[in-house]
Amino acid sequence: MKIEFAPELEAFRAEVAEFFATAPTPAIREAGRKTTSVFAPFKECMEWHRILYEKGWVAPHWPEEYGGTGWSVEQRFIFAEEYRKADLPPLLPQSLGMVGPLLIDIGTQEQKDRYLPGILNGDDFWAQGYSEPNSGSDLASLSCRAEPDGDDYIINGSKIWTTYAHHANRMFMLVRTSNEGKKQQGITFLLLDRIDYPGMEIRPIVGLDGFPEQCEVFFEDVRVPQSGRVGEENDGWSVAKHLLKHERGGGNAASPTLMRYCERARAAAEKTPSPFGGMVADDAVFQREIGELEADIASLGHFEKLAISGHEIARDPAFPSMNKTINSELVQRASVLMTQVSGVDGLARQLEALRVGSNVEPLGSEFDLVSMPLYLNSRATTIYAGSNEVQRDLIARTVSGS
Amino acid sequence: MDFSFTDEQQMLRDGVGKFLEKSYDFDTRQKLVNSDAPWSADAWQQFAEFGLLALPFSEEQGGLGGSISDCVAFAELFGKHLVIEPYLGSVILAGSALAQSGHEAAQEWVEKIVSGEAVVAFAFEEGHGTASPELVTMTAQGSGDSARLTGEKRLVHAGGDADAIVVLARKGEGGPPAFYLVEAGAEGLDARAYTTIDGRSAANITFNDVAATELQASEEAVEKIISEAIIVQSAEAVGAMEALVAMTGEYAHTRKQFGVPIATFQAVAHRLADMKIAYTKARATLIYTTALAESGAATPRDIAILKGQIGKLGRAVGEAAIQTHGGVGMTDELSVSHYHKRLLACDTIFGDHAYHFRKVGMG
Repeated sequence: MKIEFAPELEAFRAEVAEFFATAPTPAIREAGRKTTSVFAPFKECMEWHRILYEKGWVAPHWPEEYGGTGWSVEQRFIFAEEYRKADLPPLLPQSLGMVGPLLIDIGTQEQKDRYLPGILNGDDFWAQGYSEPNSGSDLASLSCRAEPDGDDYIINGSKIWTTYAHHANRMFMLVRTSNEGKKQQGITFLLLDRIDYPGMEIRPIVGLDGFPEQCEVFFEDVRVPQSGRVGEENDGWSVAKHLLKHERGGGNAASPTLMRYCERARAAAEKTPSPFGGMVADDAVFQREIGELEADIASLGHFEKLAISGHEIARDPAFPSMNKTINSELVQRASVLMTQVSGVDGLARQLEALRVGSNVEPLGSEFDLVSMPLYLNSRATTIYAGSNEVQRDLIARTVSGS
Repeated sequence: MDFSFTDEQQMLRDGVGKFLEKSYDFDTRQKLVNSDAPWSADAWQQFAEFGLLALPFSEEQGGLGGSISDCVAFAELFGKHLVIEPYLGSVILAGSALAQSGHEAAQEWVEKIVSGEAVVAFAFEEGHGTASPELVTMTAQGSGDSARLTGEKRLVHAGGDADAIVVLARKGEGGPPAFYLVEAGAEGLDARAYTTIDGRSAANITFNDVAATELQASEEAVEKIISEAIIVQSAEAVGAMEALVAMTGEYAHTRKQFGVPIATFQAVAHRLADMKIAYTKARATLIYTTALAESGAATPRDIAILKGQIGKLGRAVGEAAIQTHGGVGMTDELSVSHYHKRLLACDTIFGDHAYHFRKVGMG
């Protein structure tokens, strides 16, 4: 067992920190501080994406020949830690974390040549068309239909919870191409090279935090080329399962973000008077709670580092589900702690102040501005990407074999 | 980063695992616990033959120059088989305290530990949770070869049967914690021996102006020895958790109620999932912290995180295992409750999870 603490790594850390201190625009920084979701404010997030692309740092987890950085595990964690310290907006996961790695793994050469450059340089943003009004946890029951017609498919049906579809220019989706056999067997995975085909309609859904992050997408006789299919017709479920490994397993570590939430909560608690006297940060119960949370986040970090280094722990069939479950529940716990520190100052609804570039002064501190929207938004983490009930079913099967 | 066991460590695991599988099955272990013997002299002899008693000591001291990850490699198996022999106390704690001392007497005791000739107990706990060396209050009078100890130490594993005791006490009023060597049978020693809930021999010992030899030790040395003991104890806990997850999954698969295996009930299945998540988190933190310690980079915060997590997660796994087994989980006959009691001990010794989480939270 060995962990490197070479002086070169400290030089690397300084290089990364220097870049993060100088490269982002003020608007990108503001977007980072006002990020209250996995999904950062779109416009500034994509500006930052393009800056990272120019630097060659946009996809550290990709294989080097496809535009990855070729960094060691240590370097990747240093990058992630400095990224969070600088409070920069996280890059959107759908393109770089899902469809990109999928195409690298199993896309045709033509699909790779056509789509990977736009994913990397930020010209394209892909929406994920999976869930449907009647197919949530039971995703394989999906019914959005694609009928072959010459070289095309004709799509009819709808998708829901399609994050940022109103910002996207491309979409990957699951469609039903057959009703024969098991429900998993008639599904096909499609890439839509545009999201404004005739017959497509996108309606944003305002979430409980007041933001239109999710969308509904309607398809009425939408004609798309069959060349966008990944894998064989009716074999889309295995493609989707492959992609889920990237979605749940995560190429990027989540623990640095979560540790940063704790740091922000602690900093706010040092300035917040406790009703029992002194500051909240000095309160024994607060210390116990944040310590327990930080220890659990540390364990997630250890788990992530072992996985990225190729330890056997990542070869457990339950690994993606465990990673998703641990990560999603820690996001929620961190946001609960943040709202506890904010108290009543988190109750004001401040959508304008949260908008990047609005120049509206928040009522309380910037911490109080984001804690409640983050809490509300993070209720979704245990629902999306397969609800945690589904994840636990999958994990349990590896324990009992039942 | 490399977090895997080396080929040599894997071979050691295979060898120790096979021996325990064959000669330290649960029934044999229970007969041993219920006998008059405090532990198995045969097993101890086997540990000597595997080189475990020599492992952590330097080659100049007759040891094998093993590392903390070597110890973790087989300590997981000790937990998996609920080994009751005083390895942690005698080899890791007392042994390391003696080995780092330049005192001639200390070196003689190291030789006896390595050869399997002697067992040396480690007296640290003073009751109600002496979570760290800074909380030790027992104070030595005098110094060098003519130090005197007065006070009480509790939960001294093998304390009633050991050939000598290494005691952690303060070096004079307000002084730093240091190690003192006391020979068994010394005048003024009074050991009240008992068996712990997890089947190990222990004693509460009162010291009434007992003659002791001071073993030079820096504060850093004391902290390092306790930290490494916490890591080895955590490895035992992770081994116990692994065993519980496996046997509980197996039980839920075979035990039928309402005509179906109970694992098919989602409430039961989700508890199994939580057990596996807890075990996996605990093991990840154990391995990472071991690698940190091996690189000389484990901070007190890293050790507190490990200790807190192992304590909390181990307890949760044990309680879930008993609940899933139902009535039989409550019996003395089945191993489940014995694993749980080992995990309770691992949580409590060297400070429980509540203590360590607060230490982490204090920043």
